[in-house]
Amino acid sequence: MALLEVSEISVQFGGIRALDDLSFTMDEGQILGLIGPNGAGKTTLFNVVSRIYDPTTGSVTFDGQDLLAMSAHEISRVGVYRTFQNLALWPGMSVIENVMVGDHTNTKANVISSALRLPSMRKEENELRDRAWAALEEIGLEDVAYHPAAGLPFGTLKRIELARALIANPRLIMLDEPASGLTHQEVDSLAQDIKNLRDRHNLTILLVEHHMRMVLGISEKLVVLNFGRKIADGDPDVVRNDPEVIEAYLGSS
Amino acid sequence: MTWNFDILPDFIFNGLSLGAIYGTVALALVLIFKATTLINFATGELAMLGAFLVYVLHMEQGLWLWLSMLIAMALSAGLGVLIERTLTRPFDPSDHLPVVLITLGLFLIINAVAGDIWNYQVRILSNPFGQFPSWVPSVGGDRFIMVFGSRLKYQSLGIWVTLAIALFLLGLILNRTKAGLAFRAVSSNVESARLVGVHTGRTLGFGWAIASAFGTLGAVLVAPQLGGVNPNMMATILIYALAGAALGGLDSLGGAVLGGILVGLIQAVAVTWVGVVVFGQLYMSILQLAAAFIVILIVLLFRPSGLFGTRRVERV
Amino acid sequence: MSGSLVVVAKNSAEHKKWKYVQWAYLAGFVLLTPLVLEPFEIGKMNRALIMGVAILAVNLVVGFNGMLALGHSAFMGIGAFVTASMVQDENWDYWQVIPIVVIVGFLMGVIVGLPALRVKGLYLALVTIAQAAVFPTLVNIDELGIAKRTGGPNGKGVSEEVIAPSYLEWLPGVDGARGGSAYRFWIIVLMVGITLLLVTNYLRSRPGRAVLAIRDNEAGAAVYGVNLPIVKTMNFAISASIGSLAGLMWCLDKGFVAGQDFTFLLAVDLIIGLVLGGVGTLQGGLVGGLFVVWVNDLTKRISVPLGLYTLNGDGPLAKAIFGLILILFTFFAPGGIVSLGRLINNKLIHIVPLTPSGESIEPMSGFDPGMESTRADTAMKLSIAGPVLLGVGWLLMNVNNLVVGVLAFGLRMTILLAPVAMLVGINELKAHADGNRPDSVKGPASMARNLGALGFVFVIGYALQRFVQTYPIWDIPLI
Repeated sequence: MALLEVSEISVQFGGIRALDDLSFTMDEGQILGLIGPNGAGKTTLFNVVSRIYDPTTGSVTFDGQDLLAMSAHEISRVGVYRTFQNLALWPGMSVIENVMVGDHTNTKANVISSALRLPSMRKEENELRDRAWAALEEIGLEDVAYHPAAGLPFGTLKRIELARALIANPRLIMLDEPASGLTHQEVDSLAQDIKNLRDRHNLTILLVEHHMRMVLGISEKLVVLNFGRKIADGDPDVVRNDPEVIEAYLGSS
Repeated sequence: MTWNFDILPDFIFNGLSLGAIYGTVALALVLIFKATTLINFATGELAMLGAFLVYVLHMEQGLWLWLSMLIAMALSAGLGVLIERTLTRPFDPSDHLPVVLITLGLFLIINAVAGDIWNYQVRILSNPFGQFPSWVPSVGGDRFIMVFGSRLKYQSLGIWVTLAIALFLLGLILNRTKAGLAFRAVSSNVESARLVGVHTGRTLGFGWAIASAFGTLGAVLVAPQLGGVNPNMMATILIYALAGAALGGLDSLGGAVLGGILVGLIQAVAVTWVGVVVFGQLYMSILQLAAAFIVILIVLLFRPSGLFGTRRVERV
Repeated sequence: MSGSLVVVAKNSAEHKKWKYVQWAYLAGFVLLTPLVLEPFEIGKMNRALIMGVAILAVNLVVGFNGMLALGHSAFMGIGAFVTASMVQDENWDYWQVIPIVVIVGFLMGVIVGLPALRVKGLYLALVTIAQAAVFPTLVNIDELGIAKRTGGPNGKGVSEEVIAPSYLEWLPGVDGARGGSAYRFWIIVLMVGITLLLVTNYLRSRPGRAVLAIRDNEAGAAVYGVNLPIVKTMNFAISASIGSLAGLMWCLDKGFVAGQDFTFLLAVDLIIGLVLGGVGTLQGGLVGGLFVVWVNDLTKRISVPLGLYTLNGDGPLAKAIFGLILILFTFFAPGGIVSLGRLINNKLIHIVPLTPSGESIEPMSGFDPGMESTRADTAMKLSIAGPVLLGVGWLLMNVNNLVVGVLAFGLRMTILLAPVAMLVGINELKAHADGNRPDSVKGPASMARNLGALGFVFVIGYALQRFVQTYPIWDIPLI
């Protein structure tokens, strides 16, 4: 059974159709590459799944649950997380604190237990800090753990976002252009990292990326969008030879 | 309990003319909000300063009142541009705190400087509608026009006509002049306006200029109802204007005027008439200001974008 | 970070020593206040502390959550009137009123905050500014027994004075005058300490981090499961209850509350204190409270003749000076005094964080070859800073005595910096003599030692002079 099922999603902004009747499915453990020229609606889809936008029509189900019935802060409860194209870190906190907030959903300390530093809260806090440290170590960021999240190189910030998404034991991670702003070498190691993380944590990854070599290299399924519509869907090797795709996307680049 | 409907129209007229003034100040707030998504808390004090300029030009220098008003509006507009250029433009408009702090600082400085120059006493400023043309009928020494058997003050009529003309001119400026069109472009989308070559900074200055001029107009019109001008004259009016702007929708110019008028009506009818006349209890009149607060809360609870604002309210 | 004078590992013996020194400074400051100051000055300090708590409350919303709250004067007023009414009319003790005040403040916070915080934008600023304007008129309402409770336009006094029980007579400053401001000072210090501790704990844990995340990036916070309206409202309500607690302290300190004490101008004072102290810093509230009271005091002394016109700080212009400070700080020091203090602190010490297994993350001092000369350089700069500040203060004092405060500031900086610079200078010179430092260290290090010593001597001389002035030597009975 498919883990994520997007069916007949349309999003309308004023007179513009950002997404037009989009449907696709993702299986558990899959890396799905979502590609398309600029303005094709990829980030719009992320914003629909993460409940920042309301679609005009259609439905999104994750593991049989209706995501559209949830609010933005509720979808993390079913294990759906994302990163942002232009980063959504919290520069006023240190790197490790950023990662600790990543597991906000699965931790419980409340205002009273925190203000009084009750034993239950201290235990949870220590465990959380250890797990955050482990996540940082896994991504190779322990050197900057106590550095403020502001003022670090762009590539490092992108990796912090990854660590933050990892700490919560997610089932689905949506990566929005993780390779943008990285050097060639960094892109290659990122591709390897993503595959490793998927294997180690049983992740399902929805990847939006312009870097074609990377997408084709690690995706097990491709969905190609153009002007909000799906023009191809399936095995990367098949899709990359689809004449419409070459026309709309690969041909132009 | 006496539902005395005979004098209700008097209260309605009174509410409409107060409301028109709130609407003017609300317009000043919205003109700046539309362009920058900021609330200028110094709006009231800038308006007060404008009213004092009129006081100096007219009462002290003996200039014709309407000419003084035009000069004061022009000077306030200049001051508005100056403030925008020097104090608010260096800051990123999406970060609200610094600019709000700047406007609060201006609020304190303008109020204190005015207090230092003119003291905190009320100074009489001539009523723009104090001299009556001969066709206005006289009722007991005062001038009224009878409408539906009720007395409509000549002054209220004067305020409405003045505002109608001002709004008409504002409409012309926004729809016919280059600066006005640029302002509308910037306030609907800064990024795309910049892309098509609109000088956004200059345009925001234009918004501040018009807003300051409108504030001055409002302050001069309200002065006779307060017995004159004084440095604290705009304190409560700003609150009513904020309520009016919220009710109309913070990004709607027409909404600001209508919202201000509605707040004036609520104050005059729902609070004063019902409270004082019907229930005969004075405490209801203390609640006038509280009514503004409650209006804001109710608007936020049921219709955060206001009556006429665009529904751009984001959940996240 | 290699610019810091001292580099220590977190939780190491040196780090602990540094912490003890800081605590000792603080404890000395607190202990000396009731001993050294005149009663009316202690009263001023009490007011500063109360303002500090209220500013902390505003800071929770404005500084830590990024929402604009401009009406905390009303929460203070609610707390003050509830306290006055319960203590005067119902004969409750102050400590019994605390839970009531906290709960009432919290509920008011929810009522005001929830509608405004459900939607994005400046709506909280709108509601709170109206709330501040409306509050002073509400206490005058005759109906529902409100005016009877609040005293209406006359205000409400609490007739029973706060008196130290006999078993607390030993508190510094309290002996002899058990009902005086010194005893109230100790109560307020205790309440401030507990409030600050609870708020610190709150902010440095899961709920507090969610609050900060909302400030820094709302969309990111929502994706990671932070319920925006609930967390914002909760935080605002906590802030409101702390504001009400400040109101309780106000009533306890002054024994009298009136509607005109809690106007929009008080709310603006809180904002000014916030900006002066430091937006988004825990210490900012207390520092801001001190400075609001202190600056207010200073401006009153301004009197500058300008030809026919005299610039008089005692009149309305005091507010203009506050306005100017607000604008200048927004432009040039948006982090307030605390962030300036942190800059100095970072020059003095750098604390290296540890891994969970207890190893330091960065290399410790001594391994970095550039380190030693930087250290001597920094010491030199510090040694210059103290006397320069002192000199500037002295000059300004002679131009116009309104700037006594700058002198006092320079003096304090010298007290802090000169000995440190001197010690580091001596240390580095010794290391150079032992052959552990390059020759380039010698110049700055000896300068740091000499100037630091000079500043040190100057401070001691100044203190002696002040002492003789205050207590003429010939008056001291030498038994």
